[in-house]
Amino acid sequence: MNFDWSVVWRNADALAEGTKLTILLAVTTMAIAIPGGIVLALMRLSGVRVLSSLSACFVELFRNLPLILVIYTAYYVLPVATGFSLSPITTAIVALSLNVSAYNGETFRAGIASIRQGQSEAAYALGMTRWQATREIVLPQAVRRVLPVLASTWVSLFKDTSLVSVVSVGELAYTSMRIRAQTYRVLEMLTAMAAIYWLLGYPQAKLVDWINRRYAVNE
Amino acid sequence: MSAAAGEGNAVHRKGAGTPPVLLYRNVVKRFGALTAVSSASMEVRKGEVVCLIGPSGSGKSTLLRCTNGLELIDGGEIALDGELLPRDWEGMRRVRQRMGMVFQNFELFPHKTALGNVTIGPMTVLRMRRADAEQRAKAMLDKVGLADKTASYPAQLSGGQQQRVAIARALAMEPEVMLFDEPTSALDPETIGEVLNVMKRLAKEGMTMVVVTHEMTFARHVGNWVVVMDRGAVIEQGPPEQIFGSPTVERTRDFLSHLGWSG
Repeated sequence: MNFDWSVVWRNADALAEGTKLTILLAVTTMAIAIPGGIVLALMRLSGVRVLSSLSACFVELFRNLPLILVIYTAYYVLPVATGFSLSPITTAIVALSLNVSAYNGETFRAGIASIRQGQSEAAYALGMTRWQATREIVLPQAVRRVLPVLASTWVSLFKDTSLVSVVSVGELAYTSMRIRAQTYRVLEMLTAMAAIYWLLGYPQAKLVDWINRRYAVNE
Repeated sequence: MSAAAGEGNAVHRKGAGTPPVLLYRNVVKRFGALTAVSSASMEVRKGEVVCLIGPSGSGKSTLLRCTNGLELIDGGEIALDGELLPRDWEGMRRVRQRMGMVFQNFELFPHKTALGNVTIGPMTVLRMRRADAEQRAKAMLDKVGLADKTASYPAQLSGGQQQRVAIARALAMEPEVMLFDEPTSALDPETIGEVLNVMKRLAKEGMTMVVVTHEMTFARHVGNWVVVMDRGAVIEQGPPEQIFGSPTVERTRDFLSHLGWSG
């Protein structure tokens, strides 16, 4: 077997572009899915039946569907159903956000539920409204408590962005596969792709560990 | 309600003749099938330290929590400065701003420093500017003897220090009344004194206080009025000399003797 690693260097620019798009997808999705998850958790815990059922339905739907199915559906069905034609990148972000918001919703719900009632009572005793107590006292503690879970969701998301290559979004996986198809250098391209994902993912996992230690709340 | 629960008008009482700051009339609180408070009537006058004592499960803490609406009463009435407590959440929230509460387990906010714990009330509820809130908070922490701990997180403080921060946190809202729910029950014996001393100083400054406590020495020497509860009812009340010296109700005598109290 002979290898031709030069294919990787010759396509370095395209791979860099793909990597940029992968990072953009992951960051944008998380930027939507963190507030999304908090909203879903607050709806679920609001005690208002309509809100809590809506949230539960959303979470159970998107948590239990394969992500690739959500991506295909968003790509092929959304434009027909809504009349809007979304770009592949927007479609990808919508699909990823639906999925990750559902996971984050459950994460935040568990985090909020783990803060004991006395903390809210202490906030109420000062005269805070329910929203002030949630914003100032409960959420900051809940977020710190679920950081490890958010971190592993992030790492999964970073890799799962590769699934949107099925709708021709030119991120890292799509770009690598395209180059492979043009050059027939399968092993070289797969190795390059693996190396890039790993080199990006590993420091993130380490960074998250550090954030977790730094901001952990001791009681 | 037994006759012994009456006000005992014959004895001199601090603030006598002034309208009560807090008035409880036949207060009832149920949790499902359990009646936690079956009939509680009492008054708290301005500048008074009223101590609620009695066996565990007698309804003392529940009555205290009803005072600032953390529990809503099922019957009777509670009035603050002559006005009945509102029954709705928003109305009750406004009333809570005028009462400070200190919890058995401190309930400090672990993600905030001592200073942050004391400024958060004035900043969010009173919309005070940070600089002003910090100035007030420092004064309050100084008052409880913790001026050097402003930057410490609760986890770095001893139980007694945490409870003193909690007192400062409540005082920062400049309440008319301070409610203490067994403030020393979760403390190591060696730190109980520092908390009681802060409370004693507050009492001397004329703060109106309602204290649920098992510290009989505190009730006797700092309290102006002692209310004994048993099985959800006020069974006896009077000045500490009377309650600890010559209790008239059998169950009060039983309770005090179980504590090994000998005057």
